[in-house]
Amino acid sequence: MWWEKKSRSIAPREPQPVPAPPVTPQSENSMVEAMSRASDLPAANQNPTLLGQSVVLRGDLSGKEDLLIEGQFEGTLSLQEHCVTVGPHGQVKGEIHARQVVIQGSVSGNVSAREKIEIRKTGEVVGDLVAAGIAIEDGAYFKGSIDILREQNQEAARSFPAASALKAET
Amino acid sequence: MAGRGGQRHEQASARLAPLTETKERGPNEGLEMSVTAGQQGRTKPTRAGPATASAALEWLWQQLHDVPHPHMLDCGPICQATVDVLLRRGAKLYVTDLMTPAREGNSQFWDRRGKVPVFRLHDFLAQLPEIPEESLSAIFCWHLLDLLPRDVLPGLVDRFFSCLQPGGVLFCLLREPYLAAGAEMMWWLENLTTLATGREGNKPFPYPALSNREMERLARSRSIKTFLTRSGRREVLAIK
Repeated sequence: MWWEKKSRSIAPREPQPVPAPPVTPQSENSMVEAMSRASDLPAANQNPTLLGQSVVLRGDLSGKEDLLIEGQFEGTLSLQEHCVTVGPHGQVKGEIHARQVVIQGSVSGNVSAREKIEIRKTGEVVGDLVAAGIAIEDGAYFKGSIDILREQNQEAARSFPAASALKAET
Repeated sequence: MAGRGGQRHEQASARLAPLTETKERGPNEGLEMSVTAGQQGRTKPTRAGPATASAALEWLWQQLHDVPHPHMLDCGPICQATVDVLLRRGAKLYVTDLMTPAREGNSQFWDRRGKVPVFRLHDFLAQLPEIPEESLSAIFCWHLLDLLPRDVLPGLVDRFFSCLQPGGVLFCLLREPYLAAGAEMMWWLENLTTLATGREGNKPFPYPALSNREMERLARSRSIKTFLTRSGRREVLAIK
């Protein structure tokens, strides 16, 4: 009958499952790159532990993952195999020892990196830098000394004593 | 930041694209180092004209040819090119920007309470990083001596010499009397023996040109070597 046809025509169709787009390595890399551009962090530091802007921490900090500091830290940072980023609002007083260090905020103290230290244009550093590579952006402020990490210094850098005081595993 | 004195300033005269890296590769440290591009590509300050060979620098590096890791002080605005060149040479580099506050007449270093403004040399020198006595092989003070009042130069030069080791060299660029402007020019090392500069400056110099005799008096009977150039400046080495 005509009403049967009408009810059949207005009956909602069952939604067809939409196949998920295949996840390819290229798409994953492009996502990482987009995140990197957006956050202006090194690609290796895309999922760091965050010390937030309102956080104030004093002591010795070591760990086995990347670290982003947007708050205040006073003490010694030791992440020998990872990357430390001092964000634009970050303030560090003390020493930093890491594989790679990126400074966009303020650091007062010595910094050593097995690979590279970058001071971005918003960065302010007062202290000594020791690394295999140094990059200082135009507009950055720096006062201190710069030295290239040499073989005889690498052993000293590796044998940096573990923190005995407050140790927060991140 | 307490005690920093020299503030960050835009390098209007030298437009720097951001990063370049200096990375040590070979076993011969400081002798063969390759420079790799940073994340944002190669960077070099924008040069106004051709880089010029420097006879004074040639002499300096000849004197230091048997020093594998010289310690040096750069008193100019930090420049990635100069840092790259000196680190590649194997130097340990101290950096502090004394030129910018001197050039801008930073009020922090002037006592204007009296009838005659007095330059606070002690506060000015507090900008220097901690440098062990008699540890430096060379100090690049560029044309700093052209930017400060006469009465503070003896104290400044004495302080520099206290940082220099015996045989250490104070490298200065002193303007000729006929060069009236260019106080804001920036200099850097293109390579070990080549100087480069940004655009020609038009800011007048605040003080009369320093004569050779005055420079000898400042050096207090230490050896002085003067190299004339065609750039309106002479390169002066004061040797401890």
